[in-house]
Amino acid sequence: MLFLHETHRVIGRHAPAFEGLVRDEWMPALAVDDDTRLLWYLNHAMGSGPAYEVVTVTALSDGAAWEALGHRMREGDLVDLAGRIDACRHEVEGKLLLPVSWSALQDVDLATVPTDARTHGLTVYMQDTGWPDAPLDEYLELWDRDYWAVMRRTPPDQRLLDVQACFQVAHGSGIRPEAILLQQVVHVPTLGRLLTSAERHDPTTWPGTYMAKGLEIRDQWESKLLRTSAWSPLW
Amino acid sequence: MLFIHQFHKVVGRRAAEFEAHVRDGWMPLLGEGTDARLAWYCDLAHGSGLAYRVVTVTAVRDGPAYLRLAERMARGDLRDWARELDGLQHESLGRVLAPLPWSPPFPDLEELATGGVDREPTLYMEDTVWPFPGRLRRYVDEAGAVYRPSLAATDARMQMSVVLGLETMPGAGRSPEVTLMHRLSSLPRLLDLLTQDLPAETTGPGSWMHEALDLRDRWRSRILRTAPWSPLP
Repeated sequence: MLFLHETHRVIGRHAPAFEGLVRDEWMPALAVDDDTRLLWYLNHAMGSGPAYEVVTVTALSDGAAWEALGHRMREGDLVDLAGRIDACRHEVEGKLLLPVSWSALQDVDLATVPTDARTHGLTVYMQDTGWPDAPLDEYLELWDRDYWAVMRRTPPDQRLLDVQACFQVAHGSGIRPEAILLQQVVHVPTLGRLLTSAERHDPTTWPGTYMAKGLEIRDQWESKLLRTSAWSPLW
Repeated sequence: MLFIHQFHKVVGRRAAEFEAHVRDGWMPLLGEGTDARLAWYCDLAHGSGLAYRVVTVTAVRDGPAYLRLAERMARGDLRDWARELDGLQHESLGRVLAPLPWSPPFPDLEELATGGVDREPTLYMEDTVWPFPGRLRRYVDEAGAVYRPSLAATDARMQMSVVLGLETMPGAGRSPEVTLMHRLSSLPRLLDLLTQDLPAETTGPGSWMHEALDLRDRWRSRILRTAPWSPLP
């Protein structure tokens, strides 16, 4: 299974039109077959980064489904719709993602993913993208051994994040070395403490911990706070 | 056919090792199967941009072949090769691209050499174009109808031809974006372009340069030089 991750730089004036096109036309158009589904529609939380930026994640059952989607967009039934969506944004930056071996998310039963824009409460995600100085595999091993495993041992009532997926970029479709954690924020007050208590996460005060070990192989990553839309198929 | 286009930021001290890793590793490894072939290995010409930058273009048979290749790199027999690559480059930026409807025919994968090539380098001008929002299809159509034929005109200012026209596959790079690989056949014409102002007839009303401003006003040109062993000249 392939996951198509897109960051849309939306034209602010056209933001409602962009969301409407994705919700009312794009999502159902993808669902005409059972090999492609929009999974997440996420707004980058204003006040924490760029304005009018949207992240979407789409699941594709295999390489043939991805190739077929490209064909529909270039010369098939999606040419017009793709053009109208295109007119609502400055650009889109995409990459293809593969789940790493220990990712909780591996496959999605696409037939069960809602396509009817049913509404629900909002959820916040922290998307971490990291760029190691070391070989990519060493970074993924660190995340597994010293981050994910520790988080799983943390009592539920003390958790800030639930790691829902970990991906690496499929060959030649983005930056290498790069890896992504998609994490649901499960306790917003703890997020508040993270934002205001920097000293708690100073690696010099945590010898032997993930924050200190991590500096041996990377010091560049980016966290994005993303909030699902009320109709996002997954939330 | 799909194309993996990669822009490698090579560790300068290890540039020769990087080249050997692709020439003696990637190219023959791909040659053992039928899914993909290295098509071009090009250096960004020193003096025309960033140092120690390499462009590779790998041709892939189709979507399923691409996914097989990606899975081999992530967790299969190519993982060790990829791990070693990580020590030879700071990073690479890749895109997966599909040919434009009017792109010239590309050789069958079986026709691409997987070793044994040694020839004079060829110069390319690689243009990456960003059409305005909502203008991608019109740009592609007009570039095919107006721009590409203009390069073949007897009075063409540049002696070059488009050997590959590409656009981004969904989710595999930036969009709207078009990449045109031009093969240069006259170095003096390139030097004229670099050292002289464009004549008015090239930029005035009615010209491609002028009329296409309705469709885009940003692009980037890179001057690339093929390695002597690059499968395609």
